[in-house]
Amino acid sequence: MSTEMDTREKKLQVKDLTISFRTINGKLQAVRNISFDLYKGETLAIVGESGSGKSATSKTILGISAGNTIIESGEILYDGKDLLKISEDDYHEIRGDKISMIFQDPLSSLNPVMRIGNQITEAMLLKNKANRRESRKKLNAIFRKLDSVMKETKGGDDDKRFDTFKKIIGQQSKYEAPYSQARSNAEGGLKAAEDMLLSISKDAVANPVAETRELAEYFRASVDRFVVRDEAEMKSIISAMEKAAHESAKSKKFDSLKAQVEKGRDLLRKALENESPDFFALGCYLVLGNNTLGDENSAELNAKAQPFVNNQFMMGFKSDIKGALIASAKKSVEGMENAIKALREASSKLSSAMPERAEATKLAKELSDKVEAGIDPFETVKDSFSYTFRVSLTSAMTVYYDDIVRNVAEQKRFDRQSARYARLEAKGKAPEEAVAPLSLSDLSLVQANIIKILDNMVSQYEQQLTVARAYDFDKRTEAFVSWMRETAMASFRVITKSLAKDRAIRVMEQVGITEARKRYRQYPFEFSGGMRQRIVIAIALTANPDILICDEPTTALDVTIQAQILELINKLKKERDLSVIFITHDLGVVANMADRIAVMYAGKIVEYGTSEDVFYHPAHPYTWALLASIPDLNSKGNKLESIPGTPPNMIYPPKGDAFAARNKYAMEIDFEEQPPMFRISDTHYAATWLLHPNAPKVEMPEIVKERIERMGGQN
Amino acid sequence: MENKVEDREVLLRVENLCQYFKLGKFAVNKAVDNVSFDIKKGEVFGLVGESGCGKTTTGRAIIKLYDITSGNVYFKGQRISAGTRSYKDAIAAARKELRNCKDDGRKAELEQIISDNKAKIKDAKACNKNVDRKLVNQIQMIFQDPIASLDPRMTVRDIIAEGLVIKGIKDKNYIDQKVFEMLETVGLVREHASRYPHEFSGGQRQRIGVARAVIMEPSLIIADEPISALDVSIRAQIMNLLNDLREKMGLTILFIAHDLSVVKYFSDRIGVMYYGHMVELASSEELFRHPLHPYTRSLLSAIPQPDPNYERNRKRIVYNPVADHDYRNGEPTFREVCPDHFVLCDDAEFEKYSKIVSEEA
Repeated sequence: MSTEMDTREKKLQVKDLTISFRTINGKLQAVRNISFDLYKGETLAIVGESGSGKSATSKTILGISAGNTIIESGEILYDGKDLLKISEDDYHEIRGDKISMIFQDPLSSLNPVMRIGNQITEAMLLKNKANRRESRKKLNAIFRKLDSVMKETKGGDDDKRFDTFKKIIGQQSKYEAPYSQARSNAEGGLKAAEDMLLSISKDAVANPVAETRELAEYFRASVDRFVVRDEAEMKSIISAMEKAAHESAKSKKFDSLKAQVEKGRDLLRKALENESPDFFALGCYLVLGNNTLGDENSAELNAKAQPFVNNQFMMGFKSDIKGALIASAKKSVEGMENAIKALREASSKLSSAMPERAEATKLAKELSDKVEAGIDPFETVKDSFSYTFRVSLTSAMTVYYDDIVRNVAEQKRFDRQSARYARLEAKGKAPEEAVAPLSLSDLSLVQANIIKILDNMVSQYEQQLTVARAYDFDKRTEAFVSWMRETAMASFRVITKSLAKDRAIRVMEQVGITEARKRYRQYPFEFSGGMRQRIVIAIALTANPDILICDEPTTALDVTIQAQILELINKLKKERDLSVIFITHDLGVVANMADRIAVMYAGKIVEYGTSEDVFYHPAHPYTWALLASIPDLNSKGNKLESIPGTPPNMIYPPKGDAFAARNKYAMEIDFEEQPPMFRISDTHYAATWLLHPNAPKVEMPEIVKERIERMGGQN
Repeated sequence: MENKVEDREVLLRVENLCQYFKLGKFAVNKAVDNVSFDIKKGEVFGLVGESGCGKTTTGRAIIKLYDITSGNVYFKGQRISAGTRSYKDAIAAARKELRNCKDDGRKAELEQIISDNKAKIKDAKACNKNVDRKLVNQIQMIFQDPIASLDPRMTVRDIIAEGLVIKGIKDKNYIDQKVFEMLETVGLVREHASRYPHEFSGGQRQRIGVARAVIMEPSLIIADEPISALDVSIRAQIMNLLNDLREKMGLTILFIAHDLSVVKYFSDRIGVMYYGHMVELASSEELFRHPLHPYTRSLLSAIPQPDPNYERNRKRIVYNPVADHDYRNGEPTFREVCPDHFVLCDDAEFEKYSKIVSEEA
């Protein structure tokens, strides 16, 4: 919401990230200076071969890079934090919960001595308590802030409204959790019953007793106040059904079983057709109206409870919140204006000359305070720039002044050693060790970096100002209240073992594991590779993350299952507005999944654009080569255009373009200098000298051109 | 490759191949169940299906890495392996009938069946024991994982020469000569011979795997997912290499993979497997033009294409064996719906498929 001009919220921003690995042979440059943004609800595909730095990037985002990793520079901004600078404890709250990952290798990412079910539910159960605590903390902090702002506007929260609000949400969650559990079981039961009826009609029931037992579990779990209301009827159906199953196992006649299953199915179908209750309204009805729950069904309850949603209490509550929001936004606008002024001054001052260290530290502190005064505490989406401003400015300042000291020491060392060398040489003794070359850091670069931080902040705040001046406070209040409801719900959401099991089984079914209830109790070695991969996916999905990183999730799977998993990820993405980073080298999968594509080669992004840009108007020779080297269903017989050679050894990265040695379009400059990112359109960038205005005009290879024409993608 | 594939001689014939694995005391995993196909000289036969459907098991059974449960495998007209389960079953059934049999004529018939089958079992066992190793040596395999399938403590020369050494060749100069020749054939250089596998990249390792198979001068190569563990940019190199070798040496290849676009690019005929059964077999053009079995249709509809517009509109067909077939009136069998196009179906489906084919033709 901070950048409504861009219409989409940036979930994750990676800036100038450079990663190296320490190896016995030297420092291996895995990722070189890459930057990308991930918007909310989009899929960014990272394409490249092994060793191109795809996995290194994603592991760094998750803070699980290997021990020999050196993060040379860069920022990863997420939810007001720079993930490269936060502590391990802070990471615990993000990893797996907010940012989740599907790993490539199912063999090494499952615990061999734990049952599958426990592995899926483990994180859910462990994280639940911490999540509740965290939401409670967050909610109370917001309430305190609201209270303090309200004190200024209307004298504080006299009538204990926040407590009442919490009570309402408490009642809501008390009824909602069992309802959703029972409902999902009813849905599962309905599907299982239909499947069973189908196999009965074709005489294809292999083991009626076991199948009925599974069905009965669903039936039993779907009994709830609001779903299957008649518990006795359900129980009688279940016992009759189990009896019929035993009989039919002996007699091989399924008529009585079929009748019972149909009965159960009809009961579930009827239950699912019921209107679903509005639990927030129910909470209001119970708390505000001081009512108790009788034997009403959900439609009646909804009708009774509806008036309480918009009664005096809620209206007053909302109008107070609106007042607080307006006051705080006004304050934040003032803060931003002040900050911009101060930042501009500081920027021009620092670019002319850097002050003494103590003075600079003071300046940094002042600036950070001013910037933080511009932050609106009621902004539910944190803009990462202003929150990380203090850390990045202070660390950049520290680097500058440390470098001054270090440069002097380095110069001294060099002078001393070369003097000694010269002395020895003058005596005619050939010294054994050469003098290590002088390595001074370029202070002007560091200075420019500091200026850049200030300027970025200014442009960020300018953007926010235009947004903040045009706020629609009614809309904002609604959004804020629903955010509060969401957070309050999270603080009440208790996950019991049975709930976790239910959810695990549902996810297992979603990822295409048959007989999920039976398999829940098995060990990883009892699963095939594809099945194990699906378990890993299920584990990642149970966490309900903000960002899902998929590191070659379907490479080990065959096409049908792959299609199923991709559909599932796409469905979840739509349902939960999930942002996905999808790492793969299968271009077909990329075409299916990606909204935008980043092609990586030797640690750099060589091409970056929407999926139409990259597939229909590829610009980099590496992308051409990738497209030409895969057979599609129409390319029979003609020889494939293979890429000669292998990727370069990144311990000794080539001086120019890393792809030059394998590139048949390489020019002299490709071996001399690395190409910058050339802009092709607003969304499409590529790093190749071929796009330089002085470069000769080169057409893409025939085979790629033909294929694009065949696809009909040329618009 | 002047003469058409149809007219060429049959190099490998697999008849009713079954490969069962015991799971515990009573349970049996029918990894491959009653699979039959021919591979003609000089063709590439593709085998596709999802993981666990028995593609690899079929390949390994052919090269005699397993003792097959039942069925026969003929190579160049000679039987190289035979299973006994079907004969044993026939004996058991006959004995059971014999116990309650009153009719003397029938009794004699049954006894004849038992003795016939006993003779067949003896025959099969003898065949398995006395198989011509030289003949089996003409079948070679390329494995899926180029890292796991090369011994890390052997030099490339030793790895490639191992087959020759086992064959009994002792002339070092000859072996070296052959190894160098092979290295150059697969696009490596002589100097690589003294190195160890870990010094190579994935694509180069797979080339070593190819060289090791080709040095035996095989007539049939079983390539078990040779490219699925490789990087995209390397895949095309290996595919082009296999294509070159095929043209140069007249190789016949059994190509096992799950990537259908690769299989289509590479194969003349394709067999589709599903849970141990072969459900459809046709030339690759025919299979992609007229997929008949619902599983094949579902498989083809799941292939992702590097084309975003196509992908957005692609509808996947879901295969549900219970809903798609009705086998109450008889077990399905493998039938020829139109020339050289076989489908696993029962009577009703056979008519349906024939109609589809005649309408579309």
